[in-house]
Amino acid sequence: MLFLKYVYLAIVALLLVLILTNMFKKDKFLYQLDAALVIIPLILRLLLIK
Amino acid sequence: MKKIPKRIWTAAALCLLAAAVCVYLGITFSSMWKDQPIYPGPGVTAVEMLSDYNPGLKGTHGDTEVYVLDSGKPGAAVLVLGGTHPNEPSGVVAAVALIENCQPKTGVLYVIPRANHSAFTCTDPQEGAPMFFTIETPGGDRTFRFGSRATNPIDQWPDSDVYVHRTSGQTLSGSETRNLNRAYPGSNSGTFTERITYGITELVKQRDVKITVDLHEASPEYTTVNAIVAHQDAIELASWASMDMQMEGMNISIEASPTNLHGLSHRELGDFTDTLATLMETANPSQGRLRGRTNADLVVKGVDKYYVRARKAGSVTVEFTEAGIPLDERVARHICGIEQLCNAYNELGNQETIELGGLPSYQEILTNGIGRYLSPGK
Repeated sequence: MLFLKYVYLAIVALLLVLILTNMFKKDKFLYQLDAALVIIPLILRLLLIK
Repeated sequence: MKKIPKRIWTAAALCLLAAAVCVYLGITFSSMWKDQPIYPGPGVTAVEMLSDYNPGLKGTHGDTEVYVLDSGKPGAAVLVLGGTHPNEPSGVVAAVALIENCQPKTGVLYVIPRANHSAFTCTDPQEGAPMFFTIETPGGDRTFRFGSRATNPIDQWPDSDVYVHRTSGQTLSGSETRNLNRAYPGSNSGTFTERITYGITELVKQRDVKITVDLHEASPEYTTVNAIVAHQDAIELASWASMDMQMEGMNISIEASPTNLHGLSHRELGDFTDTLATLMETANPSQGRLRGRTNADLVVKGVDKYYVRARKAGSVTVEFTEAGIPLDERVARHICGIEQLCNAYNELGNQETIELGGLPSYQEILTNGIGRYLSPGK
């Protein structure tokens, strides 16, 4: 189970990097805003806060 | 010099904004990790940790205080578990009231007020539950945490699709993997939650605990409310206690612990140790499915117009009037139940006795409120 937890956190980190990368590539503000909202729970999860 | 595109500026600004929100939320969520103070009363002779019984818990969020109230005279040992499910607040408040008031005359009382310490650090998703509730005491308001039914996912994640109980092989929904009251008797090499129950089981064995009382609440529409659930070895004890509770003015029933439902304290502690394992349930509208607005008022006052309508429609078996089912009444039931279980143990002719002293009666708590018997908050 502990191993799976780290796999899960690695997936979260990967997703976070991909979304951040995409955020800087998109021209539309609404897309960027969407991405900003999505990264908040991912960051909290990655830091094991929530 | 190359001009930086506008999208980079907006993305950077949004990143900063998201970071600021994360800092704010991080501080808010981290505040839930801080334990609310408990003020040991004159009966407390030592404060141990659960990691004294399972060293694997040391330094984890699963480690929790074990308050020892030793009379200094020979007698039986009793264990009270509060906060197995921290969204069932009468358990933790009753446990705290024991710690701050009880002065055993014979025997030893062990109280774990935050049995699943980790579950006090979060709330259940999609329930809109309050993070805190307050009880008025003569010296000011006293704040308590309202937590989650299950271990914080920060400490144990991910859940399996199907939860397989370790010793019986029983299968349950994966969401029960983090439920403390499905993880008995536990394992020191198991999941985080199983390591907590292993510590509790070890305490029961090492301290030769004669009676275990696990304090719970349930939705008013649930059939097992206002009840003592007892392992088959504890049925006689629970029956005696229930008669005395009825004489004090409470409706209380006895439920036999199902032999084929595993992982629960009243089943596994009874099977794997020599303790007389019992569990008490009261009716808590703040965790019911029919409830309206969910806030600290509902937790403390227990007033809900939808439950009144449900009662009138015959959908709820427990008595539910406009006065609600306040926390005072639910805590009074637990405290009275614990005292009567101990009295029943003595009345049944056991050589070692346990006499609890210093506790308010059921009627006194109903009249004065439980806040009268809690140390004022600082």
